[in-house]
Amino acid sequence: MLLNSIYNEFIKIAAKPRSYISLLAVSVLVGVILFALKVDGLSYISLLTASFEQTLLFNGNILNGNLVAFIVLQLLIIQIPLLIALVTGDMISGEAAMGTLRMLGTKPISRSQLLLSKFIAGYIYTLVILIWLALMSLGLGRFIFGLGDILVLNSDGLVILQQGDTNWRFASAFLIAFLSLITVATLSTTLSCFTDNSIGPIVTTMSIIILFTIINTMDVKVFDPIRPFLFTTHMASWRSFFEQPLRLNEILSSIGILVLHIVGLMSIALYKFTKKDILS
Amino acid sequence: MPYFNKTILLAVYIWLTFVPFLSAQKTANTLIGEVYHKMNTIKAYTADAYIEADLPMIKIQPTQASILFNQKDKFKLISKGIVVLPKQGINNLPNIIQDTNSFTAVRSGKETIKDNITDIISIIPNSDTGDVVLAKLWIDPINSLVYKSQITTRENGTIGIENYYKSQKMRGLPDRIVFTVDIKKFKIPKGMTTDINRSNSIEDKIIKDSNTGKIYLTISNYKF
Repeated sequence: MLLNSIYNEFIKIAAKPRSYISLLAVSVLVGVILFALKVDGLSYISLLTASFEQTLLFNGNILNGNLVAFIVLQLLIIQIPLLIALVTGDMISGEAAMGTLRMLGTKPISRSQLLLSKFIAGYIYTLVILIWLALMSLGLGRFIFGLGDILVLNSDGLVILQQGDTNWRFASAFLIAFLSLITVATLSTTLSCFTDNSIGPIVTTMSIIILFTIINTMDVKVFDPIRPFLFTTHMASWRSFFEQPLRLNEILSSIGILVLHIVGLMSIALYKFTKKDILS
Repeated sequence: MPYFNKTILLAVYIWLTFVPFLSAQKTANTLIGEVYHKMNTIKAYTADAYIEADLPMIKIQPTQASILFNQKDKFKLISKGIVVLPKQGINNLPNIIQDTNSFTAVRSGKETIKDNITDIISIIPNSDTGDVVLAKLWIDPINSLVYKSQITTRENGTIGIENYYKSQKMRGLPDRIVFTVDIKKFKIPKGMTTDINRSNSIEDKIIKDSNTGKIYLTISNYKF
């Protein structure tokens, strides 16, 4: 029954035109970035290596598919959550607005299972977006720019990782990115339980992400105690897989915080949805 | 037999007495000329290279590469991945010393490097508009080998080069070169880093306090 419900929920997502906005946006954004890097990528790279190149010479194919995929992920991973929220923020409030939620409640499935199926359908949608992003950035990037070692600039300096060492790093990075994105999907779906219109949860999710991102980027000490607990802080932890040596403790800590957010938000949603007086 | 021993002893005496004297007689310019001549005898070669870097702000794994060399500057390093090398110092010494009229060479002492007595020659360019400000060479006068050099340029700071000779000592080609590069100018561009909320550890502080880094180039399998 749960599987049927998940299937139905996913079909509902697939039937909405707005669900394809994310795919289109990802395609256009990645296309623009790839075009820009193909035309003038080396000058972008020189921004990273300028001070090092006064003394050193970087020999080899620096602008390659792996670096391009990394740049794409770095630029887009902040925007993708907004595209996810556009769909998942509508999961319950959209039905309430259309008046189909009440009818949905008459199905022989518990409210908690119904809510769970909506969450899982949202996660599947998130996975589809992420796979599309991976195909566009890593697949197309490698096809256009070829393979090569990846050069990453961290606060400690440059990290150069060999080509053979990149596949598992990208796979792990995408897994963490998926965890980050489903945290956003969970947040917007949870907010969706509190209202009967779609705009509210979507805008609120976007506002929370923007606010938390500002807190993260502002180098002000007053925010230091709360920063480690914000989910946006850990949304960038996929980048930890491109460090040498790997800071496993930090990655595990980020996974823990994100999972806590997901579980916490799901519990709130479950409490609210099961107690909800569905009037329409 | 005693006559034979006396002859050997006399020969050894003459050798020990006059060879160091003769080498000391060589002017700094002559020594440099001999080094340049030795470098010029190698017209082309290929070799395998193994590059390791110990640079405080750059983390890179050791890399294999191939070296292609042709007379006059054509030094190429071919590698599958990214290789970090000093911007100068690999093959620019011949350019610095090729025209003895363009610099003043001064002998500034002797130093023993790996059991070899070397003459320290300072090269001061006559022109004050060139990039090279000062070059210092540690030259083995007997074999015309540069065991160590230090080149200071306006743009790239100072680079130290140590050459280790083994299989191709006769040709004057090193089996291992250790570059010491100046990293004082290394800066992380603000807003371009990929990690966030990273607090500086003690290790990071030590890294920032370092001023030099090393690049090790091991060359093998020379083919002429």
